[in-house]
Amino acid sequence: MTSSVASARAARVFSALPPFAGLDAATLEAIAQAATPRHFDAGRVIYLEGEPATTLYVLETGWVRATRMSPDGREQALSVLRAPDIFGDIAVFIGSPYPGTVVALEDVEAWAIDGGTFLGLVARHPTLARAVIRHLAGRVLYFIGLVEDLSLRSVEARLASTLLKNAERREGRLIVPRRPWTTFDQMAARLGTVRDVLSRALHALEEEHLLKVERHQIVLLDPEGLARRGNPE
Amino acid sequence: MGRPVVSPMTIPDETLRALVLEALASNRDAAALDLRVGVLNAVVHLGGEAPSAGLRDRAETIAAAIAGVRGVVNRIEAPGAPSPSRTIHIPLAEQEREEP
Repeated sequence: MTSSVASARAARVFSALPPFAGLDAATLEAIAQAATPRHFDAGRVIYLEGEPATTLYVLETGWVRATRMSPDGREQALSVLRAPDIFGDIAVFIGSPYPGTVVALEDVEAWAIDGGTFLGLVARHPTLARAVIRHLAGRVLYFIGLVEDLSLRSVEARLASTLLKNAERREGRLIVPRRPWTTFDQMAARLGTVRDVLSRALHALEEEHLLKVERHQIVLLDPEGLARRGNPE
Repeated sequence: MGRPVVSPMTIPDETLRALVLEALASNRDAAALDLRVGVLNAVVHLGGEAPSAGLRDRAETIAAAIAGVRGVVNRIEAPGAPSPSRTIHIPLAEQEREEP
């Protein structure tokens, strides 16, 4: 049971998740009452692939990365999530072990909700059940896109579309900031490749003046050209 | 006739996880650690904390010795050990195919 201040904070975080934004106050309060605040230092494992899924998490601040070991022993990034978001939910809903490992990429504040308790809330609150369906449908669409990316697109195309999805406009330029935890290996795992291939792909796009790699950021010089590379005919 | 060969593929992940937990609990050094264990597709994932890199490695050796384990992803935190959040590539043992 959380205090009323913490409960209000948890409700705010949960209602900031787009699929759950329209929930009524009573449902949000019930969820918040079931949530426990958790802190994870940067680099910490939140849960492991194949561990029993007992808990789902709502991310309040920070970034986490979900990965899964491929059959050939290579880590594949499933998703990189930034607050606010929810994770650990799919395994809780299906009653299977966690399908991937989640680690905190930086210091993370999250709310942990016992899986059984959350399933009970879903059973008692139809609006929450509908929000969960919306949320899971979004996840399905995301993973369809990931499968399409990994199976049908070249590394250069994947890189171009990923950069465009993560771009921010700063001082009139379109840039993708390099976070402290962004390493070549992690970028490669996110794109389903290895660092040498990623390095060649970045170099190729730079040679074509589509982007410029700087120390702390990647500047997107020609977004339209990158979009064409990301979605080839 | 010799003993029947049991394919590691026939060992469910849940059973492998129980075997790893049992092996860790029965080792005097590893039993004192608060380790977390996950198993998926016969690959063992280890987490938690160890007071030394030696104990961290010991836990990995114990898990790897279980028949049917294809590999161990060691994310146990220990002084001097690599970050648990690093990107990991490990060699995995071939998974035996069951006869059709």
